[in-house]
Amino acid sequence: MRHKGRLKIGPTVGAMFGLLAAGATMQSLSLPFWREHYRPPSADLSNIAADQLLFAVAGFREMIAGILWVRADAYFNEGNYDAILPMIRVVTYLDPKQIDVYATGMWHIAYNFTDSESRADRRNIPIAVAFGKEGAKNNPHTYELFYETGWLWYHRIQDDFPNAVYWFDEAAKREDMLPARKNLLAHARLRNNDADGALKTFYQFYRDAETLYEKDKQRGSFANLQTIEGNLDNLLVRMSQRGFFAQKNGTYESGDYDTKPPYDVKFSVRVSVIEPRVLEVDGTWNVYPVGTRVKCILRDADYPGGREAGLEWDSGDANDFSAPRDRTYMQDELFVRNLQFRRTINMSRDPTIYPFRGDKYYLDFFYTPRIAPEHLKDKYGWNGEGFTDSNFLRTDVREGQRVVFYRMELTRDQLLRRREFAMEGGIIPTFKTDNYVPPTSRSGSSSVLTPAGEPEQTPAPGQ
Amino acid sequence: MHAVFAIARTTIGEAIRRRVLLVILLIALLLLVVAPGMNVLTARQSQTVLTSLILGVLQLSSAVIAIVLTVYMLPNEVERRTIYTILSKPVLRWQFLLGKYLGAVGALGLMMAMMTGTMILVFALVQRGASTDLLTGLARVPIMFFVQMCLLAAVAVFFSTFVQPVVNFFLSGGVYLVGTVFGSLFSTISENQNLPMVAKIGSNLIMWLVPNFAQYNVQNSVINQGSVIVSEQVYYAQMVIYGIVYISILLLAGMLIFDRREV
Repeated sequence: MRHKGRLKIGPTVGAMFGLLAAGATMQSLSLPFWREHYRPPSADLSNIAADQLLFAVAGFREMIAGILWVRADAYFNEGNYDAILPMIRVVTYLDPKQIDVYATGMWHIAYNFTDSESRADRRNIPIAVAFGKEGAKNNPHTYELFYETGWLWYHRIQDDFPNAVYWFDEAAKREDMLPARKNLLAHARLRNNDADGALKTFYQFYRDAETLYEKDKQRGSFANLQTIEGNLDNLLVRMSQRGFFAQKNGTYESGDYDTKPPYDVKFSVRVSVIEPRVLEVDGTWNVYPVGTRVKCILRDADYPGGREAGLEWDSGDANDFSAPRDRTYMQDELFVRNLQFRRTINMSRDPTIYPFRGDKYYLDFFYTPRIAPEHLKDKYGWNGEGFTDSNFLRTDVREGQRVVFYRMELTRDQLLRRREFAMEGGIIPTFKTDNYVPPTSRSGSSSVLTPAGEPEQTPAPGQ
Repeated sequence: MHAVFAIARTTIGEAIRRRVLLVILLIALLLLVVAPGMNVLTARQSQTVLTSLILGVLQLSSAVIAIVLTVYMLPNEVERRTIYTILSKPVLRWQFLLGKYLGAVGALGLMMAMMTGTMILVFALVQRGASTDLLTGLARVPIMFFVQMCLLAAVAVFFSTFVQPVVNFFLSGGVYLVGTVFGSLFSTISENQNLPMVAKIGSNLIMWLVPNFAQYNVQNSVINQGSVIVSEQVYYAQMVIYGIVYISILLLAGMLIFDRREV
C-alpha cells in the first residue's frame, strides 16, 4: 500500500552522501590517533587456533590474550615448558602491551630450557634478546622491558657489555624505573671498562637519591641513599687501589698498586671424550682464592653467528621462536678450586639439545676479568691490566679486553666415539694444551696426552 | 516526535520481556561474576587478565544482544501483523523505524549499564587496591562500546527492512567483522606498493562505506595501564559524532527502503 509522508529519494540520498563524506573525513582524521594509541601492531596470527582467531580479528584480541595467558600459567605449573613458548608468542601478538608476558617470556626462553645437568640451552638466547627488543619497542613508555633486556646482557650473556649499558641507560631514562634498579647501570659501565662513567652515574644517582629522600623521608628512600653511598665509597677505594687515578695522571708506573705486576694465571687444560657425548675436562689455574669460573663452549664450527667463545647474541628472530635445532651449542663453567678444575660434561642424555649433526666442532676455553668477582678484580683490575697468562693471553678476541682464550677442534666421530674412536677397541680422543700438567691426585693415570687436535692412537682401557 | 518516543518506549518494554535477551544478559552477568576465578597470576598480570576478560565479555554480550534485539524487530511486527495497527494511526513509516531503533538502543543501553555496573562492582571487590584511574577507565570504555553497539544495531535495523532475521544475523555479524578487521588492515593495504590500483580503490571504497567498528576498541589502554594518551576526550567525542553520522546514514537508507516496501 502507498502511504503519505514518504521520504523523497533525491534529498535523502543527497543527505546520505553528504553524511558519508563527513564520516569518511572524520575517519581519516581519527584513524591515525587510534592506530597510534589503541591498535595492536599487525602480526602473524597463523599459529592461533581458528576459533580464537575469529574472536581475535573481531576485536577481542585482549580477551583472547588474557585467556591464553591463564592457560600458559597452568602449563607453567605443570612444568610443560615447551607448550608455553607458542602461547607467549601468540599472546604478545594479540596484545603487545602485556609487559609481564614479555618479561616472563624472556626469562623463560633464556633460563628455563636446560639439559639434564641444568645447563641452559643457549641456542635460545638470541631469541630472548630479540623478544626483549620487540617488547621494549612496543612498550616504550615504561622502563621494564629495557631493564629486562639489559639484564639478559648483563647477567645471562655476560658479554658485549656495551649492550647492557645501552639497555640499562634506556631504562634509567624512563621515569618509572625503581631507584634501586638504576644502580645496575653503573655496574654495567664497570664491566664495560668505564669506571669514570660508573663514577659519574653513581654521583648522579646519589644526587637523585638525596632529592628523593628530602621529598619523602621513608625507610626505602633512606636505604637507597645508603646503598648508593656504599657503592660510591667502594668504587672510589677500588679506583684508588687499582691505580685508576694514577693511570689517569701518569704516576701508575712509579706507584705500588694492587694490579702490579700482572699476575700469571697459568691456564692449562686437557679434554678427553670418555664416552659418546661425554667430555672429561681438567686443568690448572694458578689462583688460590675461589671464584674463578672458566667458560667452556662446544659448538658446531659453522654455527650461525658463531665467534670465539660465543655467538653474535643480537642476531635472533623473535617471530617464530626457532633456534637452530640441528646445531649444537654447549656452554659450561669450570669452577676452580685448589688451583685446578675438573668437570665431566655429559651431553648424552639430551640429544635434542646436543644433536651433533655437523662434522666439525670448536671447543673454546675463555676467561675475562670483566666478569670476575670483585676480590679477584682487585688484583686483575677492571680490564685485566693486573692479569696475564704466559701462554693464552689474547687481546684480539674481545675488543679492548685482556682475556684467556684457547680453542680445540674436534670432529663428530671423536665426539660420538665412532669409527677409529669407537668405545670397543677404538682410541680415546684426548686433547691438551702443551703446558698441561696432570694434577698430582691423578698421577699414574694411563691416559696418554697429545698436542691439541691430535688424538692419541691408544687403545681404550681394558683392551 | 511524540509518536517516535511512544514507539521507543513500547519497544524497550518489549525488549525487556523477551526471554532470549534476558538469557543472554544473565549469562553475561554470570560470566562477569565468575571472571575473578581466573585470579591465579601475579598481581599485575591478574589485573590485566581480569580487565581484558570482563571487558571482552561485556563487548561480546553487548554485540550479541544488539544483533538479536534488532534483527527480529521489524519481521516480528510484520509477522504478528501488529504493524498494521500502528501504521493505520498517524504514524509515518520513518517515525516507526526510528522509534523502533531508539527503543532498541534504549534497551541495549539499560542492559549494558547493568553489565557495566556489575563489572565495576565485581572488579572493585576483587581488586581492592585498584586505582581510581583504572575504575574510571572501566567505566569509560563501555561508553565507546555502547556507541559501537548502537552502530551495529543500526546496521541490523537497516538489513531488517529487506532481509529475513537469520540472514540479517549473519549479514550484520559480517559487517561488524569486516568493519573491525578492515580498520586494522586498511593501512597495510593502502601502504602496499605491489597492490594493483583497482584493489586500492576497492579498499578505499570499503573503508568509506563500511563503518569502522575497530576504532571503538579503546580497551587496550585500560587493560594495560601506564600508557599516556593525550586528548583522549577529543578522540572519544569524534568517535561519538562519527557513530551518529553512520547511524544516520544507515537509518536513512533503511527508511527509504522501508517506505517503499509492501508490508
